[in-house]
Formats: sequence, C-alpha cells, structure tokens
Amino acid sequence: MTFNPLEQRGIPLDRQLRNWRELAVEPVDPDRSDPYTRCRIITMNGIEVEAILFSHQFARHCQDPEVKRKLAEVRYIEAQQQKAVNWLLPGVSSVLETTISYEQVAVDLTAWVARAEPDPYLKQAYQFGVLEDFDHLYRYANLYEMIEHRKAEEIVDQLTEVMPGRPTPLHHRHPVDNVREPYDRRQTDPLSKLHALTVMSAEQQTMNFYMNVGPTYMEPIARKLYQEIGLIEEEHVTHYESLVDPGETWWEQLVHHEYNECYLYHSFMEQESDRRVKAIWELHLNMELEHLHTACDLMRRHDGRDPAEVVAPQLPNVLTFEPNKQYLRELIADQLDLTTLGTGYVREAHERFERMQQQLNGDGPAPSDEVMQRHQEMFGRDYRVQTEGEHPAFATGHWN
Amino acid sequence: MTSTAQTPDAADQDDVVALLMRQHGDIRNLFDEVERTTGDDRRDAFRRLVRLLAVHETAEQEVVHPFARQLFDGGQGVVADRLAEEKHAKQALAQLDAMDPDSPGFLPGLRHLRTDVMEHARAEERYEFAQLRRRADPERLAALAKAVKAAEATAPTHPHPAVQGAAANMAAGPFAALMDRTKDAVRKAMGKDG
Ligand SMILES: [Fe+2]
Ligand SMILES: [Fe+2]
Ligand SMILES: [Fe+2]
Ligand SMILES: [Fe+2]
Ligand SMILES: [Fe+2]
Ligand SMILES: [Fe+2]
Repeated sequence: MTFNPLEQRGIPLDRQLRNWRELAVEPVDPDRSDPYTRCRIITMNGIEVEAILFSHQFARHCQDPEVKRKLAEVRYIEAQQQKAVNWLLPGVSSVLETTISYEQVAVDLTAWVARAEPDPYLKQAYQFGVLEDFDHLYRYANLYEMIEHRKAEEIVDQLTEVMPGRPTPLHHRHPVDNVREPYDRRQTDPLSKLHALTVMSAEQQTMNFYMNVGPTYMEPIARKLYQEIGLIEEEHVTHYESLVDPGETWWEQLVHHEYNECYLYHSFMEQESDRRVKAIWELHLNMELEHLHTACDLMRRHDGRDPAEVVAPQLPNVLTFEPNKQYLRELIADQLDLTTLGTGYVREAHERFERMQQQLNGDGPAPSDEVMQRHQEMFGRDYRVQTEGEHPAFATGHWN
Repeated sequence: MTSTAQTPDAADQDDVVALLMRQHGDIRNLFDEVERTTGDDRRDAFRRLVRLLAVHETAEQEVVHPFARQLFDGGQGVVADRLAEEKHAKQALAQLDAMDPDSPGFLPGLRHLRTDVMEHARAEERYEFAQLRRRADPERLAALAKAVKAAEATAPTHPHPAVQGAAANMAAGPFAALMDRTKDAVRKAMGKDG
C-alpha cells in the first residue's frame, strides 16, 4: 500500500488541542502487556521529545516572530503528544524495569534499522552501536536480579536475548573518536535520513533518562552503573547525530522531523497489538500529517524549495519491532572486538583508546564490572536469557 | 574495588530495606508461578504465595511500620495508608484462599490481587523505605533485618495443601494462624535483640 504523507491532510491544527480528560490516558499493564508495545511507547516518547527540543532550538535561532509563533503553536501540540505517549507507561514499574525496556528498544530498534539501512557506512554505524546497548541490557538485567529478585525475561519476554555483547567497560572511547562522517543530503536515500533521526532521538532520550533517574537510586552500585552507562549514551548520541548532514537547512530539518513522525506513527499503527494504544498512534498520525503540511509551507516560503525534493515520494516499509536474535548473534561473532579510530573502525586498541581506558578504568573496576562481581557473589552465576543456544563468542570472560 | 562488597547474608542483615525489596520480587515471582501452573502445582505455588505474604506483611506490621511511624514527619499518615492497603489485600487473599485454584473465578481474582499488592509494594518502597534508609542508623536497620529474618524462619517451608472450607472459616483459618505464629516469633526476636 503506498502512502504519500505529503498528499494527505490530517486534523486541522486548531482542533488538535486536548483537555485534561483526553490527556489522562490509562497506562498499559506493567506485567502482561506486549513488551514491544512498551518499546513502541518508549520510542515515540523519544521522537516527541526530539520534536520539542528541536523546535526550541529552531526558535532560538529564528528572527521572524511569525515563524516563532507558528513553531510555538505546533510545539505545544508535540508537548501534549509526548504526555499522552509517555504517560502510557505504568507507575508501578520500577526505574530499573523501564531502563531494561529502554535497552530492549536500543537493541531491537537499532538492529532492525541496521538490517534495513541501504548505505554501507551508515549500516556499519548501527551495527557497531547495537552491540553496546546489547551489553547494557545484560548489565542492567543483572543489577535488576540483585536489587529486586526479578528476572529480566519477565520484561523482555524471550523476544530479546540477554547475554554479553561488547563489554561495557570498553565502550569508553576518546570523544573525538565518536564523531562519524555525515551522509550527503543530496545523494543519500531518504530512508537513511529517517533512520539516522530515529536512532539519534532514541539514544538522546536514553541519555536524558539515565542522567535524570540515576541519582534517584539509593543503592551505590545502581547509582554508579547509571553514571557509567549514561556517559556511554552520551557517546552514542555523538556517534549517531554526526551521521546527519549538517548542511540541511533548519526548514529542511523541520520537514524531516515531521515526516519521520508520520512514518513512525504509521508504522506502529500497522503493527500495534494493543487496541487502545493503536488508537493513539492513529490519532497522532493524523495530527502529524498536518504538522508536516505546516512544515512544508514554511520550507516553500522561506527556503524557496519544494519539500518533495528532499523526502521520499511515499512512506518506506514499516519500521518493525521484532526479534533480531540471529542477526545479533552474527554481529557478536564478527564485530565484538571493534573500536573506532577517527571516523572509521579498527580491531586493535590504539593509543588514544588505551589512554582513555586507563584514565577511566585504571583505578579499580568499572561499575558495569562491579555489578557482575557482586552478582556472582550473591548468586554464584551471572544472569542470562539465551534462547538460541550457546553464546556465539568466547570473549565473555572479560570480568573474570 | 569499593569497601561495600558483602556476602548476600551480610547484605541482607545489614539492610532491612534490601531484604524487603527482594521479598517484593519473590512475591511477584510467586504470583507468576501461580498464574502459569495448574492443578496441584498451582495449589502448591499458591500455598507458598500465601505463606510468603503472611510472613512478609506480618513482619512489616510488627517491625517496620511501627518504627517508620515515629521516624519522620508524616510517618503516621504514610503508615496508615500502607496498613489500609494491607488490610484490603488480606481480605482479598482470604477470599482467594477459600476458592478452588482451578475454578473460573480464581485467576481474575488473583490478577486483581497481584495489581493491588504490586502497587502497595511500590508505595512502601517509595514513601516508607526511602525514609528508613535516609534516617535510621545502620545498627537499627540491622536489628530490624534480624527480626524480619526471624519471621521468615517461623513458617514451614512446604506447608500442607489447604483444606477446603467455608469462606467465613477460611478468613480466620490458615492465613490468620500463620500471621499469628509469625507475630509471636517476631516479638520474641524483638524482645531478645531489639
Ligand atoms: Fe509529534
Ligand atoms: Fe544503552
Ligand atoms: Fe545507546
Ligand atoms: Fe510533529
Ligand atoms: Fe506491606
Ligand atoms: Fe512490603
């Protein structure tokens, strides 16, 4: 089915405002809802947060008061959408449970994007990053069992395996080695632009989440782990945001943001198993179509260009939350020992990497290793969910 | 390496909050087990759930709530809310206890209770336990942990399947007896160590 969002009209902007009753959404069941429903909620929250933050940055760089007012008007709706989406998360979930869902998002979203990405350089960036969030999931799952006596499989439900990826202490690279080369906005596939924006937004939300919830923990080991992984999410945002061509104008970027929101709400509407949540995706899609229309008007007027030149003529294949177990196992077997040097990837630990490692990990173990030691002391084993057999690499003795 | 590494036993004894939070996890695990089994396995899992709930809530009522009540401003109100939730859950549990675990009404009732118990446990963690860690000195927290452990030791590890009976009977039946027994053990431990 072809769907060209540029040609569709949605709900008129002046009819998008919701009252308190409409914003008071019923949360999903913390234990019995589809894990991928929670993943879609977390993803769309990240997308809406980016919509809000981008619009604020745009407004701060904008001279034209009329444009500022238009941005404010749409942004208020984005802010309501963010509330309606994120408030679907249940209040009884612990922060650690939500965290585990965040890493499940990072794993299955990034793996899917890596599979679908047409550009080999961009594909490599996603393949590289996903092995790190995969290991974060493993570390947080072990912390979860220590603190709450619960198993992460009750959250990820066998859809995503929980086992070592690239060892977390090795994610601490020199910041200059986190900057990649951008795609070329004139030549790249429009799908690549959507991928970069999506993964960047998800990682940015993860970074913001960890930096804010980390200190709400009382347990010293939990506080430390959130610091460590929070800093790695900072690296991930740097990594993914640098893929975006900085030559795109503000108007063009606004169009991409709104187009991407249409793409994702449409995708999630197509696959949503929860009827009530599906209705929210559908409602928001119909709002975004009008945001896109507004952004296109602005681009035509202020950029003198036709938005159809920079976006796809129809929505790409739906972005899907589904298991990526075999794909991840192949990546673990092939790419576990990669690190970055400049804008590329190498297998040897180079001097700048070693120096950074020494500065951070040289005086006692990283919190992510301390978690594993403590877990080992408590349970005499580590916690894993391996539904597809033995671990594909033997590089798992890192913390021994 | 920091100096905080401990054996599990030492960690539990040092920190009543960590101990109770892990029991909250164990309670949820047992709810899962009851839901996922049938027949005798479900009956057995449900007995263990009843036992753990009895021990856990009694220990809180005898040890933790009285201490928290006078520990901080507003402690009275926080504890009163928790006690009301516990009373409500106790009644729901007694009703379930009087049912055949394979009867059609059992699972919906169990799911309902599960939600109530989870909300209650999170409220304890956020509004009551956080204050304990913030204000109580380590020796006191260790003494409380010891009393909770004493409660845990009272209940038999593998109780007999419940004898079916009238609902009125069951309300004062095995569950209440278990709570009484736990209460005695906790009081004894508190008298000795508290
Ligand atoms: Fe939006
Ligand atoms: Fe991560
Ligand atoms: Fe990440
Ligand atoms: Fe939007
Ligand atoms: Fe309680
Ligand atoms: Fe409790």
